[in-house]
Amino acid sequence: MALNGDEEDFKWEPPTEAEMKVIQARRERQDKISKLMGDYLLKGYKMLGDCCEVCGTILLQDKQQKNYCVSCQELDSDIDKDNPALNAQAALSQVRERQLAAQSPAPSQASELNESPSSSQGNMSVPQPRPEHCEGAAAGGRTPLPPPAVPSPSTPASTAALAPARPSVTPQSAARRLVLQEAEEAVLTKLRWATNQLQSSASLEASIQLCSLINSCANSLRSLKELTQ
Amino acid sequence: MPPMGHLHMEHVLQAVSVLEAVILRSFGPEGGQVLFTRDTGQAMLSRSGTRILTALHLEHPLARMVVECVWKHSSSTGDGSKTFILLLASLLRLIHAAASKESNVSHSYNSTKAAEAATARHLADKLLAFGLKELDELIATGVVPYGGCISWEDFTVEGQTPSLTNNLCVQKLLRSFFHTRCGYTHCDFSSHLTCELLSHWKFKNQLPSFSLQLVSDYFPALHTPVSGFPVRSSRLIKGQVIHRDFATPPLKTDDQPVKAVVLTGLLQPTLLNTGDVLELGYGGRMKEERSILLFSSWMESSLQGVIAKLQSLGVCVLLSAVKQSAAVLALATQAEMCLVECVSEDELSLFSQLSGTTPIWDCSMIESEHVATLAFCRPIQLGAHRYVHVAFQDSEERITIKPCSLIICAPGEGQIEQYACALQDAIRMLLRMWEPMHAAATTTSKRTLQSHKSASLHTDNLTEQTTYRSTAIQPIQKCVLKSGCVISAGGLFELLLHHALLQHGHSCSVSPDLNIDASVSQLLANALLSVPQKIYSHSPRHFLESQRRVISFLSKFPNYSHPLTLVYKRESTISPIQAEGPLGDGKLSLHCCREGDKFSKVSELDLGLESVSCKYQLLLAVLQCVASLLKVDTVLPTHTALHTQSRRFARTSWEGTEDEGED
Repeated sequence: MALNGDEEDFKWEPPTEAEMKVIQARRERQDKISKLMGDYLLKGYKMLGDCCEVCGTILLQDKQQKNYCVSCQELDSDIDKDNPALNAQAALSQVRERQLAAQSPAPSQASELNESPSSSQGNMSVPQPRPEHCEGAAAGGRTPLPPPAVPSPSTPASTAALAPARPSVTPQSAARRLVLQEAEEAVLTKLRWATNQLQSSASLEASIQLCSLINSCANSLRSLKELTQ
Repeated sequence: MPPMGHLHMEHVLQAVSVLEAVILRSFGPEGGQVLFTRDTGQAMLSRSGTRILTALHLEHPLARMVVECVWKHSSSTGDGSKTFILLLASLLRLIHAAASKESNVSHSYNSTKAAEAATARHLADKLLAFGLKELDELIATGVVPYGGCISWEDFTVEGQTPSLTNNLCVQKLLRSFFHTRCGYTHCDFSSHLTCELLSHWKFKNQLPSFSLQLVSDYFPALHTPVSGFPVRSSRLIKGQVIHRDFATPPLKTDDQPVKAVVLTGLLQPTLLNTGDVLELGYGGRMKEERSILLFSSWMESSLQGVIAKLQSLGVCVLLSAVKQSAAVLALATQAEMCLVECVSEDELSLFSQLSGTTPIWDCSMIESEHVATLAFCRPIQLGAHRYVHVAFQDSEERITIKPCSLIICAPGEGQIEQYACALQDAIRMLLRMWEPMHAAATTTSKRTLQSHKSASLHTDNLTEQTTYRSTAIQPIQKCVLKSGCVISAGGLFELLLHHALLQHGHSCSVSPDLNIDASVSQLLANALLSVPQKIYSHSPRHFLESQRRVISFLSKFPNYSHPLTLVYKRESTISPIQAEGPLGDGKLSLHCCREGDKFSKVSELDLGLESVSCKYQLLLAVLQCVASLLKVDTVLPTHTALHTQSRRFARTSWEGTEDEGED
């Protein structure tokens, strides 16, 4: 991108508050990195001429010829904590932010959902996302397992099924039932997956572990059924 | 940095910040020592920035370049290596900040990083030009009036002449130097010893730099390290100590003048080498008996002739640079001559200089000019070793100096090295202080002339081989700074120069064409403040207080021209023995002393003196280093080592085998 010409587009302006905080944090992080690297140099590590591919910090090499990047391996990364796929807190804050943005058109439909669980307009996500959901989402993002099925389309169906049976149920127990239904769905999905894996598994260890997974899924289903009754 | 990629300011900054973090904890009068250990159990103790930095394992080319600059600066001034790194880091940070502000405007580069790099380079060049042209004047007007001047003739040991200028003597300067290098305990003793040594080596009718240069060059031959004794047993000894023992029994006649000859060749040359074939004949006629015994007896008789000639000249002592054969040893013992073998070149050249003789290669051509007269030559036991002690007879040419050597004692090997290095650096610092400025520039420019081409300033294809010369290449036209200027230590130089630079900047900003000078001097002024900040890093309050005092003083008395001293008074009454400790609790005050004031109690806690010309050289060296660092565009990795171990590694025994991994 050539910068010739348009001078008025690139006048330097003083940084805003948020930018100042970011700059300050970055500077502190750089100072911490320098101090750590200095300590390692005094311990006998070698400073190499290469940089880390991930973060660009200068690499150190210990006496066993192993390369070591101070910022990646010691300090917490300053961008990882903002990634919702890797951090439950970030995911939670992201969902809350989305919720705040969708707050105004949502309340009428949310109250409708609470009063008549039989309504099947399940476009909205569950009103109060719980950390367990986020943890589940995060866990699902880290491991290569298929993500658990989205609970919302099934929830209205299950609540619709339950509604004729208990028309006078209170909103709190309906919410509780919702959670239990979701949990059941998740466990069933995991059970299905484990069975598929077991059929195609070739190693003894993997089979043993899959069987134990199926066993624990069955146990959880049993306890969930006890809870609903 | 990525292979064949472009160098960004962040890389440079990070490399220098790491070096800064390494030396920061040893900086200042309260700094700590670094103990290096090897797997063999050898330990090295140091507080000198150069030693610490050269002992690190560094393969990063920029870091190596900076350490090379520091080493070269330190080998010429003897001090200031940690301050160098601090100033370098703060200058780079400020240039980076200024460049990222300005780079958005009117540059046609492919990326903002390249624009930033170009602006930074431009700024660095301007800083260097400013430093070379105007800095000495600013120092002369803004800093020197608040300091003092030590002249070579005043070079007396404290206590002998309780003169009025008691507070401005070389001992004070050396005391603060040894305080930062070796600790508080022995700084008085060490400075006293150094002054004594130098007063013995004073040549009359010569510049101070002559004798200081002599002592500095011959320092390895002039000192003898002895381990296992307390530091206070260090002393001066008359004459020269040759660090070898006698190969033949020493002379029996003590305290009589003896004659000595310095040999650089073999007395009995080896005519036969491996693989040579000797054809034996006998005067041209072929006889049946051809025997090697005749040949060896002929060799022996020629040797006997040489020894007889030496005896006729009255020579009793032979100092040989090489190892002589067994026949020579036997004959010398028989002739009652003593022989010292394998004497090092330094010691032989010092001996020749002090005795006024020249060494001889071939003994058959010996003349009386090769024969030296010694007052005595006897063995001396120092610690676990026996050495040869020679003293020179006073002659008319050399009547002014009484040559003496230094015996340095310390409990351990590491400490001996520390003290020896500190002494050598102290002498270099004094040499720099008393050397006239333009002479310094021309001598160093001669030294750097042959490398001028290699250090050319177009470093687009800079490889790891480029070395940096830390001294000015163009000679300074006029020397404004007098030699021998000193100023009170503790950051006063930086504070005064900061003030002077700001004032200069204000006066420059008035006229539009000197606008760039204003920003440059502002940048330099801010960078300078980092040094006193780090000195008082344990209590930022003291830094702000001292700054406030200096500025208020300067504004009240702009034409004051007497020495200022930053004095640190303790609030509680602690005895001087316990005075070493953190400077945390105490008051900092500014004392203005007039000529003739006496400091009795206050001088104990005084922060000492430092040399103005050393500081000026330091600033110039830092500016040049910054300019060189920012000129680097790319770094090309090579697969073979481009240069073998550099000279400096040969001196320190710590980098013996680690450099082979260079790739």
